[in-house]
Amino acid sequence: MMTILFIAIIIIALLLRQRIVVILGIVAGWCYIVWGDGDLSYVVLDLWAAADQEVLLSIPLFILAGNIMSQGSIAERLITMMRVATAPIPGGLAIATILSCAFFAAISGSSTVTLIAVGSIMYPALIKAGYSKQFALGSLCAAGTLGIIVPPSIPLILYGVMTQTSIADLFKAGIGPAVMLTVLLGLYALIKNMKVERGEIHFSEIITVTKKGVFALFMPLLILGGIYSGLFTATESAAVAVFYAVIIEVFIHKEMNFEDLQNVIIETATMLGSLIPLLMMALSINTFLAYEHVPHLLVEIIQNNITNQTSFLLLTMFGMLVVGCFVDIGSAILILAPLLAPLAVAQNVDLTHFGVMMIVNLELGYLTPPLGLNLIVAMGVFKEDFWVIAKAVLPFLTLMFFGLLVVTFWPALSLFLI
Amino acid sequence: MEKARNFVEQIYKFERAIAILAFSVMTLVIIADVIIRKVAGVGIAGATRIAVYAMIVTALISFGLASHNGRHLRPKFTDRLLPESWNLQITSIQESVHALFCLVFAVVSLSVVYDTYLLEETSRMLRIVIWPMQSVIPLAFFVGFVRHSLYALYPEIRPGNNNDVAAGSEKIQ
Repeated sequence: MMTILFIAIIIIALLLRQRIVVILGIVAGWCYIVWGDGDLSYVVLDLWAAADQEVLLSIPLFILAGNIMSQGSIAERLITMMRVATAPIPGGLAIATILSCAFFAAISGSSTVTLIAVGSIMYPALIKAGYSKQFALGSLCAAGTLGIIVPPSIPLILYGVMTQTSIADLFKAGIGPAVMLTVLLGLYALIKNMKVERGEIHFSEIITVTKKGVFALFMPLLILGGIYSGLFTATESAAVAVFYAVIIEVFIHKEMNFEDLQNVIIETATMLGSLIPLLMMALSINTFLAYEHVPHLLVEIIQNNITNQTSFLLLTMFGMLVVGCFVDIGSAILILAPLLAPLAVAQNVDLTHFGVMMIVNLELGYLTPPLGLNLIVAMGVFKEDFWVIAKAVLPFLTLMFFGLLVVTFWPALSLFLI
Repeated sequence: MEKARNFVEQIYKFERAIAILAFSVMTLVIIADVIIRKVAGVGIAGATRIAVYAMIVTALISFGLASHNGRHLRPKFTDRLLPESWNLQITSIQESVHALFCLVFAVVSLSVVYDTYLLEETSRMLRIVIWPMQSVIPLAFFVGFVRHSLYALYPEIRPGNNNDVAAGSEKIQ
């Protein structure tokens, strides 16, 4: 009876358009009051314990570094570099689009920022160069999603916090799938645009544009190189990224002043104000579930019904594809990761690999109606109809689904650097 | 209504100032710690703790910034299930429920912080009492209660295009 009432309250909260933080607060309160010891103060103690973790420091720092680097003309510099470098290749401009998105994503850490920054420059350029509208829209939306898998990725950090998995390992594990997806999209761009006119390569031009864009290119190398070599932890690399971003944007590119820096801090803080309370509520529910042995019970139920790893991975994959259509990636990770992680361990799936698989899975949700975030953003940026964009991403979605299968069933692709 | 709008603006300015200060402390302390540790081999004692407390203050004070800018995440897939003509009433209920949620958590967290104060709970690394840092929890929820109550009474002062998932989640990726 209480369970039915609980579900009814959640449905009513959704119908009344409650924010996720309120819904999670209701769930946490219900768990402790109705199913627990009847004391709401445990939720507050859990909230404090959830926030009081050093590992969380990497989240604001990486977001700040990305926001600082996204303020100036980094996108333009990267695009110019990629355009010059890929000019003699068939479909060069299309490949430049994919590569620009991948590199910009590694700097900004955001899919939609990548889509807006690269798309606003590359969309008119692609159309002018004779590429089809459908290809231009699809490639930008799809390559824009690389932001969530290319390290540093906030969803990977969230997954690490929720499942106690090493964030440095998750970053390393994200490299293989990110490169594979970039190559897949790049190859498609090459094959699809073989007949588009090629440009010429000028080495003097390459040197000039490299000089302008080299500082931006060095950022991901600094972060990943530092983590991979063992020189930095994830939090340390985030601090170094902020320091580097300020030096580059304020003193070298000279595209940011003190007032801009204040605005970037406020933008980042606003983002934190939406994300961290959500994380605190989710961790409070997670603590309650662990205390009540719910993950253990789930593992028992699943093990009785699913007998092998392949069935578990396929079921999880399709489940998350459906979730990705309706729920944003942050909420999906906060709610699902702690529930699915023990099941994955029980099926002998490496938690780092499972995390990367989960992120790539939910990445597809950015391209699927009705709530595909990149589709919605693209509507505004490119002034196109939702369904025109949704159709344009279909070939890319198929490719990325193939990529997801590879990531899911070839763990070595994610784990070879660990 | 103008008084309510001005009041909310004043709260926002206060939150903004605290958020910038706390965020700057967090960032500068952690950067200084990393640089000194890499150069001298020994970091600043307690730097990470200070940064964590500054982050908690930033995040909870910014709970209000997210409300002010309409950036709290909200699932939208049920939006069309109720008639559009009910929107005004739904908005009022939405904000009232949010205000009530904040009030409940403000009261409960105040009692938790009071217990911490009585127990003189301290941070082992910094050897300071932690209740001043914990106080940001009831403060954030209480300000949330005031703000969302005003939004419920005067829906016109709510931020535009409020609270859809697209607006809030774009940087999570």
